[in-house]
Formats: sequence, C-alpha cells, structure tokens
Amino acid sequence: MATNNEFAIYVRGLRKSYGNFEAVKGIDFEVRPGEVFGLLGPNGAGKTTTVEILEGLRPRSAGEVTVLDFDPDRQKQKLKDRIGVCLQATNLPDKITVREALDLFGSFYTRTVNGEALLKRLQLWEKKDAYYATLSGGQKQRLAIALALINDPQMLFLDEPTSGLDPQVRLEIRDLIEELRAEKRTIVMTTHYIEEAERLCDRVAIIDNGQIIASGSPRELQAKSANQAAIEIAFTQPWRGGELPVWPHAIRSTLSDDRRHIKVTSEHPARTLVEIVKWIDSQGIELDDVRLNRPTLEDVFIELTGKKLRE
Amino acid sequence: MKTFLALMRIDLKLALRNRTVLFFNYFFPLIFFFIFGFSMSAEQGSRIIYIITMCFAIGVLGNGLFGAGMRAVEDRETNVLRRYKVTPITPVPLLVASLVTGVILYLPGLIVLLILANRLFGMAVPANLISLFLFAIVACIAFRSMGLIIASVVNSSQESLILIQPLYMAMLFLSGATFPISFFPEWLQIVTQFIPATYLMTGTAGILQHGESILDNWLSVVALLVTAAIGTFIATKLFRWEKEEKLRNSAKLWVLAALAPFLLLGVYQSWSREDLSKAKILARDLSRGRTWLIQNARIFVGDGRVIESGSVLIRGGRIAEIYEGPAPDAKSLKAEPIEAAGKTLLPGLIDVHVHLGASGGFYDDQSKSYDPKNAEHELQAYLYSGVTAVRSAGDPIDDMLKLRRLYGSGEKLGTELFLCGPLFTAEGGHGTQFAKFMPEEMRPAFFASFVRTPKTPEEARQQVGELALKRIDSIKAVLESGVPVYPFHRLDVNVLAAVTSEARAKNLPISIHTGNAADVADAAKVGASSIEHGSFLDEISDETISEMKAKGIALNPTLSVAEGFTNFARGDTSLLKRSLVQQVSPKDLIAGTESAAKAEKWAGLRQGIQHFPMSVDQGSKNLIKAWRAGVTLVTGSDAGNFLVLHGPTVQHEIELWVAAGIPIEVALQAATLNAAKLLRADSRFGTIEKGKEATLLLVDGNPLHDVKALSAISAVFMKGERVARTELFKQK
Repeated sequence: MATNNEFAIYVRGLRKSYGNFEAVKGIDFEVRPGEVFGLLGPNGAGKTTTVEILEGLRPRSAGEVTVLDFDPDRQKQKLKDRIGVCLQATNLPDKITVREALDLFGSFYTRTVNGEALLKRLQLWEKKDAYYATLSGGQKQRLAIALALINDPQMLFLDEPTSGLDPQVRLEIRDLIEELRAEKRTIVMTTHYIEEAERLCDRVAIIDNGQIIASGSPRELQAKSANQAAIEIAFTQPWRGGELPVWPHAIRSTLSDDRRHIKVTSEHPARTLVEIVKWIDSQGIELDDVRLNRPTLEDVFIELTGKKLRE
Repeated sequence: MKTFLALMRIDLKLALRNRTVLFFNYFFPLIFFFIFGFSMSAEQGSRIIYIITMCFAIGVLGNGLFGAGMRAVEDRETNVLRRYKVTPITPVPLLVASLVTGVILYLPGLIVLLILANRLFGMAVPANLISLFLFAIVACIAFRSMGLIIASVVNSSQESLILIQPLYMAMLFLSGATFPISFFPEWLQIVTQFIPATYLMTGTAGILQHGESILDNWLSVVALLVTAAIGTFIATKLFRWEKEEKLRNSAKLWVLAALAPFLLLGVYQSWSREDLSKAKILARDLSRGRTWLIQNARIFVGDGRVIESGSVLIRGGRIAEIYEGPAPDAKSLKAEPIEAAGKTLLPGLIDVHVHLGASGGFYDDQSKSYDPKNAEHELQAYLYSGVTAVRSAGDPIDDMLKLRRLYGSGEKLGTELFLCGPLFTAEGGHGTQFAKFMPEEMRPAFFASFVRTPKTPEEARQQVGELALKRIDSIKAVLESGVPVYPFHRLDVNVLAAVTSEARAKNLPISIHTGNAADVADAAKVGASSIEHGSFLDEISDETISEMKAKGIALNPTLSVAEGFTNFARGDTSLLKRSLVQQVSPKDLIAGTESAAKAEKWAGLRQGIQHFPMSVDQGSKNLIKAWRAGVTLVTGSDAGNFLVLHGPTVQHEIELWVAAGIPIEVALQAATLNAAKLLRADSRFGTIEKGKEATLLLVDGNPLHDVKALSAISAVFMKGERVARTELFKQK
C-alpha cells in the first residue's frame, strides 16, 4: 500500500454533499509528481467539485485529501500559494493591461518568476500594454496560463484549457501544455476533448455520477474496452477461397459478401496483421488497403457512461 | 503589504480609465458646483461655502455608494473575483484597497473644488484645512464601507442599484445637501438626524464656516468611524467571490447594522438637538454671509458724524467698507445693491433696560402676563422694530442664559440679549415685592433666580463672584426706599459699595437702580457704571451730576416707564395705538391691556399707582440737567412695566427725550454708541464703521429732522443678514 507522501495528490474516500445532494460519492485516486492527470466526465458528474476541493476552494464533506502535502481545507492559503490554476469562465477587468495583470497577480504570491520572460515565452510580450478587453480568445487563454504560472507552481490545474478556442489556437495551447509536462510539473486537467486527453494525459479518471468508474493510462482504458482492435483489409479482386484461416491471437474473422473485405478482431493486432499479410502473399491476391481500428477513449467513455463526453 | 499596494495601484489605474467613475467622482460635483455657483450668485458672500459643502457631500456619496458599491458587484458579476479566488489573496486587502483608493481618488476633486471656489467666487481658504481633509478622509472611508456592505449583500448589479439609489437619494435630499435642514418641518428635521450624510454636512459646514476642528465634531467622526469598521467587518464576513453564491434577501438587513451608529446618534440627537441646533446656526451664518451694498443713504455713524450721502458694503456679516459720495458699482464689488436714496442708515438701536419676564400689559389669562415663554416673542419683536440689542435688567437668570445662547448663536433670530442676572437688593427691598403675588412654594426658586440679598459686604462679594462665573453681562443693584405708601427696605450702602467694587473687579458693568436724588447721590459715590431711572421724584443735585460726569457714570432716565405708569393710572392707552406696537404685540395682549386700563377690577391698582408718583417731567428735567453737564446718556425703557410693551421701545424713549429738549442726534448717540459702550460691545456694534458687525437699521426719511422717521422701518440687518421681519414670528 502506497503512502500519500509519494503522491502529489492523494485522495481517499472523498465525499461532498450539498444539502441532500451528494455530488461526490467517495472517490479514491492519486496523482504522481510530474504526471499529467486528466479528469473526464459528463457535465454534472462531479469533476468541477472534485477539482475545486483539491484547489482549496471548497471544503469537503468527508475523506482524506492531500495536495502537495497540504490539506486543502486547513492549509488553503499555503496551498494556493504553491499551485497554479487556470479556470474556465474567469475574467479580468477590461482595462487592465497584460503587464499590469501579471504584476498584480505576482503580488499575491510569495514567489514569482520573471514576468517579462513569461510573457515572451507565451508570445504576449508585444501585447504587454494592451487592455485585456482587446485581446483575442487565444491571447486571453495564454494570459490565463501565464497568470497560472506566475508563481512557478509545482502543480497546475487546468480546467478545460482549450474549450471555446479555434483549432489553430487549441493546437498551440496543447503544445504549451506538452512543454509544461516536459518541465515535470504535475498537471491536473479536465477536458471535453478526448484526443486532448489521449495526447496529453499520462493517466485519466472517468467520473460519472460522483464516482470514478474507470482510471488508468488512456492505453489501458482502451484495452479494457469490450470493443477490441479490428484489422480491416480490402483486396483488389474478390477472394475465391473457402474458409478463412485462424490467425494467431485473432478472435473472430469475417469475410464480406462481395468477398473483397475481411475484418479480424484481435487481442494483439500487430502480430495478427503480420500473419495476415503473409497469408495474402501466399494466396496470390493483391492488397488494396489495410486499416487498423482501435477503440478510442471516446468509445470507452460512451461504453462506460452511456453518454457522449460533449453534450 | 505588497499585495495591498499592488491592488491599490491597479484600483487607481482602473478607476482613472473608467469614464463612469471619473464622471461621478469629478464631473458630477463640478457640474453642481457651476450650476449652483452661477445661479445662486455665489460670489455674493458665504453661499459659496454652502455650495462647496453640498458638492463635497455629493462627491462623497457618489464615491462611496456608487463607486465602491457598484464596482465590487461588477467585479463579482464579471467573474473577476472568481479569478482572484484561486490565488492566496483574502478579502481584507481587496476591501481595504478599495476604501483607500476611494479616498485617494476623492481628495483631488475636493482640492479642485476649493481652488475653483477661491478663484471664481472669492471663498477664503478654509482656516482648518487639515481638519477638513481628515474629515473628508473619514467620511469617504465610512461611505465607501457602506457601499461595500451593500455590494456584499446584493446578488446582482441590478439589486445593488435598487438598494443604492433610494439610499443615495435619501441622503442627498434629507441631509441638507440640497435643501438646508432648517427649511424642513419639525418631524422631518428629526428624520434627518438618522441620516449619516447629515453629519457629513454639519461636520463639513462647521469646519468650513466656523473654523471648527475635527475634534469639535468628534461625535460625528466616531459614528463615521464605527460605521466604517462595522461596514468593513461585515463586508469581509459576507464576502463572496462568485456570482453563483447567492445570499438570502434577509441578509440585506446587515446594511442596517452598518448604519447602527447613526441610529444611536439619531436617537441621541433627537433628544439633545445639538446637531439640529448646529445645522440651524450654520444656515443662519450663511444668511449672514451675503454681500450687500446699501447705496446712496444718509449715514448716521453713531459717534456724532453724519454722512449725507454714502454707501455701506456689507460682507461676511460685517461692514466691509464705507463710501462717501456717489455709490460704487455693486456688481464689481460682487454685492447685491440696496437702493437707499432718501433713507437713513443707523446702527441698530439698543435698549439697556428691559424685563422680558413681564409683558408690559395684561392678558385676560393672568398667568400669561408674567410668563417667561413670552420672552422669545419679545426678542423677535425688538428685532422687528430695529432694536438690535437689549439688556435684561432683572429676569430669572437661567431662562435668560438659555435665550442668550439661543439667539446669540443665531440658532434663532431675534435681538441680541445681554443680561444682568439677579438684582442685588435688601431683604424686603425693591425687587422682592413680586414674590408676594406668588404661591408660597414657588418663592424659594424665585428668590434664587431673581434676587440676591446679601447682608454683609463679604456676602455681597461672594455672590457677585458666583454670578460672574455664570458669565452674565453686568450686575444690577437696587437702591430705593420707595415712597411713604410703598416703602422698600433700602440696600445698605456699604453692601452696595462691595457689590460695585467686586463687579468692577470682575470687569462687569454695574448698573444701579435709583428711586430718588439721594439714591442717585449714593450710587454716584460708590461708582456705578450707569444709574438706572435717576429720580422721578426730585431733582438730582449739582454735586451728584458733576460726580457722574467726573466718574463717567451714564444716566439711563427710562422716561418711558414713568409715562407708562402715569398713563395707566389715568386709564390712557394711547401708547398701545402706535403702529409698530400694534404690529409686534400679540393681539390678546393689546386687547387685554385696553380693557384692564378701564376695568373696574383693576381700579384699585390704578389708584395705588397714582400714589406712587413718577413724574415724566421730573425725569426729563434731570435728563436735561445731566445732558447740559455733559453726563453720558444711554437709552433704556424699563419695558415690561405698565404700557411699555416690548418692541419699538427705543424709538419712543427717544421721542420723550426730544420732547424734553434733548437734540435728536444726542438721543440717537445714546441709543447706539453710548449704549453699546455700557454693554461693553462697542468693539462689535454701536457705530457704522469698517470692521463692525453689520447690525443696522434703515429707515425712510430723516430722523434727524423728524424723530417719527425712526419708526418708518425700511430694513433691519442683523450681523449681515437682511432680516425677513414678518418671518421672525414664524420661527419654530
């Protein structure tokens, strides 16, 4: 059994009730230092409540929570001093300039980094004297991240960091998050974009109805899915043979009615595919196309929650 | 601290970039300033102070309620606070920074207003600038904390507007910031005492007008500070970072908690009326501060000189300049002109001998004839008649002290009251006889407040000393043996000498009532300041007259009282028919006196008075003798005695003097400069000279040719205020 000291975040039996409504119903998870941890879940699943408890914004009803060795309830200020938070739907005064915002937020923390370097890194230096209201969506989001980084936090909470941004900006922000991951900062993020979670997160937890219904690396979750990987192959002309052979690791093989497509589900698609290619050569037929379909995290999510992630 | 300073810096920058803030903070008060400044002729004296006070209050209210109140709600609604919430910051620096920036933002506006008032409207630089700024700071913080508490209890900007607007309006209209409180009906005046902005107004006005310090306003300052503390504390406790966090409507009652100090203060003030008095005095001072130019008048200076045609500039309640010859341009003097061609301007007239506790006549309801409550009407009647100072020569001391404060401060408008305090007389002497008409149980109180009957010189000195501590204006002693049918015990001359010397030691004038020539001789011997009445019975000796002249003892012949006694004994009420007497006297007093002068019921009294021979002729002869010898003369009427009704007493006394053969200019000087000297007030009034108080009487015609002109009153000025004479009796 691991002790909570090894973890950047350690959560056991966390519960949160609002009156009679129980938003979080006893969840356990932990985040290792330097890990990017994704919290996925449909709206109202308890994601935000959980994150806000971790950030020290909300008291918990029950359970054990440690974030950077602090109890978020009792050591709020110390905790807030050490984390960076990038919230959804926050704002700054319209007429504050980028530079002023950075200086102002810098004054809130005991430790701050060089604001100029930070702005340059986030490509906001040319905008340093622009009013907040005149910034584009992407610039606002970069500023939000800059503000979250002003205290050089060991841990970052990113709440939907790319939602509402256009695709180009979204990619920029994702690159930025990868850089932060490379700096070994622990990151907890929530997102609606499954591909974002697949690409950025070391591990994810899927929350639904106040409970964690699955957790692990994106790959592990995909593997747990009932929808195994499938190999789809197309021939240039129909195959005239009889029964399809049984390939290693293959679970089920089917031939289409026009006898030009086969579909093989496999526990180990790479090995199975090699055998299939060998078999095609021996049959003297020409290969038109090969596709490997893996179940996405989205499939897993739908399978587990019965809901789409973005609704 | 770092956080706090950064927040302040940002708050300031953001405020200066915000048009609404700039508008309400700077332009709005400025707009008021210019509109009122130019429409109210602010350059004509002290109105500019009122305008500054108004703009000050409007600025503080706007800065506090709208500035702090709205801004905090907007930050919450636009999710700015939500962003702060995830940082280690707490509500305290946020709220305190808002309070402090409000003050920093406000002060430049105030400075600009003061400079403009000085440059455009000639307002003097306030003597107590530091107190003014300290008070502004305290006020700003208090009103911003009210704004913050409103922000902390409302759930949206709309709600905060709904809460702020009525508060703002109530404070604007009920505090005196738009209409002076003294215009309000009594019940509304009480309401104003519960409005925090009222204390803002009276405090600022006190500092600006009276040069008060912040400590003189400690009660208001404490209330403002307590409100600031409670407001900030509750705003901290109820602080919400997110608009989603709603508060129940009942939470809005917390606003009342912040106003609690003013509820307490309001209860206290409704009882003590201190602040209401102050508001009235301040309003009075504003009316006294206007600039007038009385032009082309004949000016009777008071010291014997007459300027046949000249103009008098009144500014700040005083005579600012006297111009002989053609009038200067009123407009360039920033004064309101008063055309006075064919009129005569005199110093206000003075009656050094009245009894406010007696009406001078009869009411059908006997108890009203000697009711001290009449005194207020009497003081107003004097001012109405152009008699601008009177000395009470024997009335209950506590009533007089109260009235002197009430009318002297300007809280109420009437003639200026001086008082002698209790009469020094012998046991059974003149003055004690009034007790005979009283119920037994009232007599001790009467004696305490009305007479002193020392038996030894030591006792006399001690009693004079005690009275001096009460800050009375002079001492009066009685030396009178009466007449055979009405004998009085006469005060021992040694005791009288002690009273006199002690009064002089205490720097108080000593007036001695005399009955006959022997009394006058003794009074002159002990060295009175003035001899009241002289003698209506016999001739004052040459030696006594020369002694009076040598010692500078003034004679106040009070011919009016002798005439009143004589007329009443005869049933002659012609004195009641004089126009000014009719104008100022209560109708039931005139009617009651008319009937008493003829009634069977009072026949005994009339007969009794006939046995007390008071000869106007004898009095007149003594007056002429004194005048010829060069004795200083002063006017007094002994009003309150039979048929000498309070009001135009001096005019009639002068008529009697003129009839006796005294030149009118001598009589007028007796009624102005000489009387003022006896009151020891000649540094303030009594002559029309630069620097003196503008307490003046303007009459139609030329009283130097026709004494009756003294009663043809055109205008009365009291310390610079043009008295609305008919309004005097409507005062509450």
